[in-house]
Amino acid sequence: MRMKLLTLSVSTIALATAANADTMTVGLVAPLSGGGAAWGTAMKGALELAVKDINGAGGLEVGGTTYNIEIAAYDSHYNPNDAVTAVNRLIYEDQVAFIVGPLGSAPLAALVPVTTENKKITITGGFTPIAVAPEHPYSFRAVLPTQIYAAPQINYVVEKLGARKVGSLFPNDETGQTMSNDIASAYEAAGADASAVDYYERDRVDFVPLLTRLLAQGIDTFELDGSPPQTAGLLVRQLRELGFEGNIVRTGGDATNDILAVARPDASEGLYVHMEYDGSLPSAQEYQQRYVDAYGGTMNAFSPLFYTTINMIFEAMQAAGTTEDSDAIVAEMAKMSDFEGPAGKANWMGQEIWGTARQQYIPYAIGVVNGGVPQVIATCSLDKCE
Amino acid sequence: MDIVTLLTQAGVNGLVIGTMYALMAIGFTLVFGIMRVVNFAHGEFYMAGSFIAFLTYAQWQLPFAATIVIAILLVGFVGALIEWVLIRPLRADELTGMIATLGISVVLQNSALMFFGASPRPMPEVISGLVRIGPAVFSWSRIFVIVSAVLVIGVFWLFMQKSRTGRAMRAVAQDREAALIQGIDVERIFPLAFGISVALAAVAGALMAPVFSVSPFVGITPMLKAFIVVILGGLGSIPGAVLGGLLLGMIESFGATMLGAMIADMLQLALVIAILLIRPSGLLGRKEA
Repeated sequence: MRMKLLTLSVSTIALATAANADTMTVGLVAPLSGGGAAWGTAMKGALELAVKDINGAGGLEVGGTTYNIEIAAYDSHYNPNDAVTAVNRLIYEDQVAFIVGPLGSAPLAALVPVTTENKKITITGGFTPIAVAPEHPYSFRAVLPTQIYAAPQINYVVEKLGARKVGSLFPNDETGQTMSNDIASAYEAAGADASAVDYYERDRVDFVPLLTRLLAQGIDTFELDGSPPQTAGLLVRQLRELGFEGNIVRTGGDATNDILAVARPDASEGLYVHMEYDGSLPSAQEYQQRYVDAYGGTMNAFSPLFYTTINMIFEAMQAAGTTEDSDAIVAEMAKMSDFEGPAGKANWMGQEIWGTARQQYIPYAIGVVNGGVPQVIATCSLDKCE
Repeated sequence: MDIVTLLTQAGVNGLVIGTMYALMAIGFTLVFGIMRVVNFAHGEFYMAGSFIAFLTYAQWQLPFAATIVIAILLVGFVGALIEWVLIRPLRADELTGMIATLGISVVLQNSALMFFGASPRPMPEVISGLVRIGPAVFSWSRIFVIVSAVLVIGVFWLFMQKSRTGRAMRAVAQDREAALIQGIDVERIFPLAFGISVALAAVAGALMAPVFSVSPFVGITPMLKAFIVVILGGLGSIPGAVLGGLLLGMIESFGATMLGAMIADMLQLALVIAILLIRPSGLLGRKEA
């Protein structure tokens, strides 16, 4: 009799566990190959590390059900068509709870109508204003766009370097056009002439003719913002090959490790770079070490930013008691403030600028490459860098 | 920067791109001239050359001259083997042969993708430093490309003009049946021509790898340019390929330097169309009988 009772109890527990254990899939669409791969792989690493934390702790408990989390990842190739195909698969076939990505304005502009219609939360890195807009309430942005940091950072750099005439090259698409406008406005406002601009197709590798054209216009500073990491490295290398001894500035989108790899440290010496967060924070260094231990090589600074937003969504799901009701999850996310992440405290901003607070804000910094390593020379707020 | 400096810079860069296009186009047009096959996999052999350079020069740190020799021998041998095993059985039908080269292209590109991944890999320069002539500045790495490419084209030219095999190749290109009657072993010439053709593409890839970077997709643009060059120079014409390559390189460089990237791209194709309207068989091409 006791044996029967024991068997019954074990069966009941097993059934109950089976009923309460479930699988939740999180999607990722990002450039995992090509010029933007450094950013895309950093996003993928962030998702994998966040999921590893949760699954390692027994799963995500939401509304009495414990979820084991799986990942469905697709390469967008930084291409709008591929990004839309991937998102359709994530929504209709993989039935993901939310989507990490896409990266880039053009892919985001192409797919945000689909994610909005299907009420899927996305964490994007696209700098287009569409990324944070009241008509797209499920679109969140983990990375600060050029529009936010351009003015304080460029003011600091123009004053520090005495830049007068700035040259720049941007990809010939929505992403490049958006950044070009933001960067030009910021330089003009800081008192520098930023009219020496040209655009290139993303598959281009020889920039010497275009750079020669810009150098002929008498530029004293070159702005790298807008170009993917590997391309930025080629630009630095080819600028130095043309004997350019002026200042090179990377106002946004962390690419320092790739620039150093492609252009090599001697060509990159004195490069002014945007730092997505204060890299001297112990939590940031700890995360970076964990990332490097897991994946080898170097870590792009986008990773801890996405890691933070992903964890905010998981916590919001627990607070809302649902993994499916995106409106309830979004409402819980909006309540979060000073969320502790590896890159520092995260808050939401953007209500005054875009009419909705869906922009993650973590204080950023400016660094100068010295001996092949970027060193913080100024920390920045929304108004200024000092 | 004064106008003379600007034009000098544009001229040197045009030579760099132009000699690379010429190297690509010579091989492309050689195969077409002799075998009447458009080799759609030509860009993948350029990519193979760049990966051989990456492995032997950047990873194993062999001398760059050894890298070039390895690229020529390895890619040349594989090319000859591919011709013998895959293209020879389909030689009777030119269209089927072309589709076979498309298949080879996909297999080679995806194999590189599987082994090396999609991300571009930087390579160290062969020669570092700058040359300053007045206000004009050039990098030694680019001048090295020009000199090496001219040397390779020169050796190839001598081979085609002076050697018995080179003359046999030209004979097959001019008239296959007449060459057969003269006792030329056409079955031996075909794989040899294909091997030499793709080895030239591999040399172009190996030379350009330290200047740009290496990825499974690096062959796509040079392949498209080689296509334009051989149409411009005349299908099957080796001097036409050299002239067309240099011309396209110059148009690209001067166009982008003087007018910007977008106008330069349009200008290139507009000029090709204009030349073909005036000379439908290309600059140095022969009219088909």
